[in-house]
Amino acid sequence: MAQCLKTAVPLLSQIVFLKDFKRLSAHVGASLLQVRRNFGSSRCLTAKVTTARKPRERVQITGLEVVTYGKRMHLVPGLAKPVNPQWERDYKDHRQYRASLGSEMPLHNENPCYVYNQRTNALEGVRQALWLTKTKLISGLPSQLLSLAERTANQIPDQDERVKNMIIHARFWVTTDERPGKEKYSNTLLLNLLHLCATLQSSHPAIGRRILTEKYSLAATWKRGEDLFQIRGENGLLLNCMDPLPEVSVNQEVNNTVDHVLETFYPVSPTIDLQKVHVYKEMVNCSGFRDDYPYHHAHTLYFLEEGDDSCKLRPEQFRAKMVMFAFGNALARAYKLYGTQPQRILDHPVTVQAVGTNGRIFQFMVFQLNTTDLSGDDGIKNQVWMDEDIELYDFAKVRPLIKKKQVKVPAGLSGYKPETFSKFLALYLHGAV
Amino acid sequence: MMAVSCLTRALRSLTLSQHALLSSQAVAQTKLGTQVPNTLGQVRGFLTTAALEQNRTHWKQREKYTIKPIGMKKTGGRDHSGKIRTHGIGGGHKQKYRWVDFQRLRYEADREATPFAEKVVEVRYDPCRSADIALVAGGNRKRWIIATENMQVGDIIKTSGVIARMAVSANEGDAHPLGALPVGTLVNNLEIQPGKGSEYIRAAGTSGVLLRKVNGTVIVQLPSKQQVQVLETCMVTVGRVSNIDHNKRIIGKAGRNRWLGIRPSSGLWQRKGGWAGRKIKPLPPMKSYVNLPSISAS
Repeated sequence: MAQCLKTAVPLLSQIVFLKDFKRLSAHVGASLLQVRRNFGSSRCLTAKVTTARKPRERVQITGLEVVTYGKRMHLVPGLAKPVNPQWERDYKDHRQYRASLGSEMPLHNENPCYVYNQRTNALEGVRQALWLTKTKLISGLPSQLLSLAERTANQIPDQDERVKNMIIHARFWVTTDERPGKEKYSNTLLLNLLHLCATLQSSHPAIGRRILTEKYSLAATWKRGEDLFQIRGENGLLLNCMDPLPEVSVNQEVNNTVDHVLETFYPVSPTIDLQKVHVYKEMVNCSGFRDDYPYHHAHTLYFLEEGDDSCKLRPEQFRAKMVMFAFGNALARAYKLYGTQPQRILDHPVTVQAVGTNGRIFQFMVFQLNTTDLSGDDGIKNQVWMDEDIELYDFAKVRPLIKKKQVKVPAGLSGYKPETFSKFLALYLHGAV
Repeated sequence: MMAVSCLTRALRSLTLSQHALLSSQAVAQTKLGTQVPNTLGQVRGFLTTAALEQNRTHWKQREKYTIKPIGMKKTGGRDHSGKIRTHGIGGGHKQKYRWVDFQRLRYEADREATPFAEKVVEVRYDPCRSADIALVAGGNRKRWIIATENMQVGDIIKTSGVIARMAVSANEGDAHPLGALPVGTLVNNLEIQPGKGSEYIRAAGTSGVLLRKVNGTVIVQLPSKQQVQVLETCMVTVGRVSNIDHNKRIIGKAGRNRWLGIRPSSGLWQRKGGWAGRKIKPLPPMKSYVNLPSISAS
């Protein structure tokens, strides 16, 4: 149709060819190349939006060879257009990488692997994490840590005063704006509290054998039933230590976990919300550090709620993330110490602690890995002690809340609870006392 | 903005390649019947309107199912040519589209074709329809469905494609083929052709009634009292659709109608024709969506 018009009105035609229109359209969705406008005709025909013809289909008939004008080097009207072989660059250009199909990649595997990463929003929350890690939940912190918390009530001189100052610093004084954002104040508060705990190094020299790390990538693989699971990703702030944490539970308690039955949640499958991949490295286990790193043992993980705009985790899902990553760190350590073969019971259970916060509410957790034999649902289970939703303070308001001319909540910090910081300090000092 | 960039790009290429253009135009004039494909890739002409691309429903062209709300583009009652086709639509609060899975009997990719259960995770308001929608999770997937009247968070709903000899005692929210349900049940989300997805009885508070079963087909009464004959393998959910007080709501003010995207009608007085006024007429005959071989072949 374009050619007819061109011959009819050659000088005035402003016809856009199909492939030129491809360049013209700024949109990436080039399904619009069906639109053609004919300016050479009358106005009513101009407004008509016509549908494009489909490009001619190349038919392959076995036994018959297609005669093309390739050898003749110019168009011959009766012959077919030659199809040139796909040219492959012989060197590797990183800026022009085309991914091949998943099924053709070298690491492709028939059996899928379910990956838990830092952005996973597990539907069933902690129950799903407990099933995946074959763990028994015990609410409340273990007794040793609670007694340690009572002893640390007044370790640091002016403890309450200094913690209050830190909260006020994080909530009010950090920025020149009226109120800092949640990401900023939660991060500042955590770092301030860690700094305060670290000032006890003079009385507890073991604190000097620790180091803080952030943005390290964890990877651990384990089999549960017939499915392969992996945990990967950058989790949070890690407090590494040269010495391992002592065991929290007694041998008897560990043996009693055999009787505990894991909670299932029919009809939802435990692999829901996990990323299902067919291209993966089998048995990838990496604690995030090289073997010659002096601080081997993961002591405590610190999680912040904000940080990723795309995944907003509710408290239940946040606690599930804490459980999973504590388990991942413990598992990576256990594989290093005892090998990758599933062990029914570990001689020295690996203990990892975790603290999660959103700037005001804290979640404390202690995870003890007793077994790496996770394929069946029976046998020894791992244990996790969880203290949920502990508030450090009630309100930190910039402007007071006034209802009916009475001050309900005053400006500044109100409702400070000193027990929360003593628990925080206890978790920090565990292993160093 | 887009038209300007097209124009500048076109003009730039025009100025650079004057000779090529003139030569190709001369070739076109001389050789009338031959096809000369423009292999040089020069821009011979340019569009001056860019409105075409904005009038397309790209946001609807998603192949993979997702529960994430999809950003919607409002049409304002305009069609692909840009003219108003339906009056009275425009403006209103911004809405995101939640893709509802109307085919209840959809088995998961890896699972076998057996009856399955799903758990209700959330029941929420949907700006795109009068009924509420429910997020249900089963196996490894989550999907949105139309919520029924008494659906609560934590309920387990069953979907089964089996027609047994005995009628199933229907629980609200479960989905069964029509042949498996007892006569007289209130149903919603009716499928006309098996496997197509439900197209009828989806509005808030509506329900159809299973009237009778006739060899391989079933007769259902729609909310408009129209009777329909469909195959007994068509899927249907049991119960009334949620948000039953939807028809009792009072708009209250013109502004609320504008928030819903309803523009005022034309104020011009127009003589009403034969369509207006109350009509009392017998029910239309039963519509059959079943291609039965005609018994009386005369």
